[in-house]
Amino acid sequence: MNCEVCQLKELDVEHFEIREVLRFSCNQKGLWCQAVCNLMKLIAGILHTILFHRALGLVRPKDIDLELFEITYVQCGDVELERKIDEKIDQFLDRVEKHPNKKNQICLSFYEVKNKQPTWFTNKVERLYWEQWYINLNVAQHQKGHSGKSTSSKIVVDPEAEERTVRRAALEASLRDVLFQIIRFVNEKKDHIPPIPNLEGVSFPYEITISRFCIWNGNVQEDAPNRASYDAQLTSE
Amino acid sequence: MASSHGNTHSERAKMEQIITEFFAKSLHIILESRCPYVSSRNYSGEQVLSSLSPSSSSSSSSSFRPRDKWFNLALRDCPAALENIDFWRQSNLEPMIVDVILMQRPIDWDPLNFSPKTGFVSGKERHYYGSDNEEFGCEGKNERIIERWVLQYESKKNGGSTGSKKRSNCTSSHALYKKSILLLRSLYATVRLLPAYKLFRDLTSSAHIRMYNLAHRVSSFVEPFTRREEADMQRFVFTPVDTSCGRLCLSVLYRSSVVDMGLDPSTPISPQFIPEYVGSPMAEPLKRFPSGFVSQSSPSSSPFGRRHSWSYDLYRASPPSANPSPSPSPTYSDSHASLAKQRCRRLPPPSLPHHVPDETLVAYMKTPSYDEYWPSPVFSPSPSPSPPTYVPNSHISKALLRCESAPVSIPVTRLSSMPSLPNKQLMPPSPPMKATLLSAAENIAHVRPTSTADKLLSFSKDRPHQIPGARPSVNSSPSKSFSSRLSFQDDYDDGPFVVEDDEILDPSSRSGLFELPGHPNEPGGNLFVKRSQDAAVGALVRMLKKAPPLHQDLQGSTLQTPTNSIKDTTEISEEPRVQQSSASNSVSSGLGLVTSKTTANALEELHGYRKMKDSLLKLK
Repeated sequence: MNCEVCQLKELDVEHFEIREVLRFSCNQKGLWCQAVCNLMKLIAGILHTILFHRALGLVRPKDIDLELFEITYVQCGDVELERKIDEKIDQFLDRVEKHPNKKNQICLSFYEVKNKQPTWFTNKVERLYWEQWYINLNVAQHQKGHSGKSTSSKIVVDPEAEERTVRRAALEASLRDVLFQIIRFVNEKKDHIPPIPNLEGVSFPYEITISRFCIWNGNVQEDAPNRASYDAQLTSE
Repeated sequence: MASSHGNTHSERAKMEQIITEFFAKSLHIILESRCPYVSSRNYSGEQVLSSLSPSSSSSSSSSFRPRDKWFNLALRDCPAALENIDFWRQSNLEPMIVDVILMQRPIDWDPLNFSPKTGFVSGKERHYYGSDNEEFGCEGKNERIIERWVLQYESKKNGGSTGSKKRSNCTSSHALYKKSILLLRSLYATVRLLPAYKLFRDLTSSAHIRMYNLAHRVSSFVEPFTRREEADMQRFVFTPVDTSCGRLCLSVLYRSSVVDMGLDPSTPISPQFIPEYVGSPMAEPLKRFPSGFVSQSSPSSSPFGRRHSWSYDLYRASPPSANPSPSPSPTYSDSHASLAKQRCRRLPPPSLPHHVPDETLVAYMKTPSYDEYWPSPVFSPSPSPSPPTYVPNSHISKALLRCESAPVSIPVTRLSSMPSLPNKQLMPPSPPMKATLLSAAENIAHVRPTSTADKLLSFSKDRPHQIPGARPSVNSSPSKSFSSRLSFQDDYDDGPFVVEDDEILDPSSRSGLFELPGHPNEPGGNLFVKRSQDAAVGALVRMLKKAPPLHQDLQGSTLQTPTNSIKDTTEISEEPRVQQSSASNSVSSGLGLVTSKTTANALEELHGYRKMKDSLLKLK
């Protein structure tokens, strides 16, 4: 069975360095919180959209509005799934804060469990991945030209507001493109999906991995790796 | 062989059922996110929060209805989808085309003069559906198709061996069902990413009045778009689901941007006054009169409250309501709540209580429930629904007096010894009602001469009256009506229920009033007043007759006072007996016997006094 790989369009998001946050004014801290929340919601929207299309068991869909982007995505309504996704997003944010200004990647993989019984050579359970989604995020550090004083922040924020609006509009358009990309991929590739287990919510086992490196050459890999970062290539740093 | 044929038939039946249900589910998904008032948007979220907890996740399947389990997608009921799907349940080979129509109100849309049109376009098979579309009508220039969903099942004319067909049928139903699930998942996500969903969300989430609305049209045949129209639209085609007998095709043509249509969903419509609101006393006066003034015993009907509203209307130009309610029930409170919001936005400044234009006066259409809290006619510039500013109650009392007490001559000061009667029982309901009707009709006719105003005028004219100062002129200006009311106010400056003495002494005024025909529902209204007056007069006469003569000597009077007290103690036994005997003797004789009884009693009293005088002298 082939493993279908989908490289989603890269998203440029901004992020503040955490150590700079302490010197921020209240307004800046609010912006930082907003940026963090927006990033979390963005990632969550993408992951939930993918999982909604793979939760082929009985679901009661739940609409989530991203007010900042005026986009509504759908969750499959599994509380456990929401918790797992939130945990992964927190790990991703920790990784981003430790390594700013880097391209980051989140990989969502669906697999089948094969060979549950241990064999002669291995005791591990083999996973056969049949689909992988790569969410590519270019997290840029927020460029600020002030020392964080409240007086100067007022002067700096206003001119940046328009720039922030432009970036936000561009990010919204990119996010919409990514979601449509997911829908098109789900529609085009259907034959590789294994039979639906008799489960509710997310029908297939999955895993979410976070990688600092990215498989970024613009092409879809033909031979899917066993692990998400098997053929990872270092980006230029 | 037979089993293979049976399996083939069963598989074909399954496939047909899957396709039929696919049509229904697709329509459901589309309409629930495009019909503003038939949405499961919040329902599904709430259900998830309440039902899908870690403890109940395993048992959540039991809470799903059988219809939800189709394609493993549980949705709330969508009546619009259920209404439209019957045709395709019978024949799933016909394409299903769902048009999402943006209906915009014209800029000069007037809710007062709008005439709703029917939703059935002649000729073709077009059915307009959508909540509250009657407001928008079917004006072509204000409609625009912003989405067109096309769903069809293209059957294949295939021939093949039975074996291969069987194998394909065995797997096709399962594969068809799985692929249908995936397609519906994509459809569910796509409808929320298209631009029309933003309009739908604004309509459902915001409480603002929008200048647009969404309607839908489900049909099997539509006119194709022109090239120009199609050039403005984008197409998204879902990957068809192939089966052995055909394939399911789903596509959508949508306008990429609805902002270019001049919509401003964030701008609420300016508040407009609805002069004829539900529950207006001017709406159906004929219906409201009996309930308001006949049922005086029921506090809920609040006749005084309603009279307040009538009197209130004297100060306000109150056009009749379009949707009258015959009873002061809380059912129309919602309309008044919305009116209250509009009212508070258009309240005039408090410095002009009597010179407010009629438009703003419309806002003060009152209801009995309203009157309970805000009985005073007031104004307030505050946007919040707060009670208006205070206007002296004298105006209201004057209005009440003018409306309700003018034809009644009741000497309040002389009725102090009378048995207490509720004032409203002394008030004739029908004459003041007519007076109120007249003045209200004057104002209504000026603001908006409608049939309701004519009804009021005709009703008042049918009952000729002689209420001073009331002139049933239809075209009277508000200034005139104001002046007439003010003149009535000047006549009664002493407060409520105070009537001038000349009215008491002038029988002609009373008689003139008594010439008023009784209210059709109150035939004894005037008679009751007459009897009460006569009773009062008779009681007064009797009291005067029974009163001790005023020409007694001072000594006698002074002696009387202590002796009366002593008499009360010592001769109580005698006087009652004497009085009783005298009473028994004089009952049948009438006034003459009363006179003789008085003389005899007087003589006996005289003897008693003499004895007491002698005793007192002896004591000294």
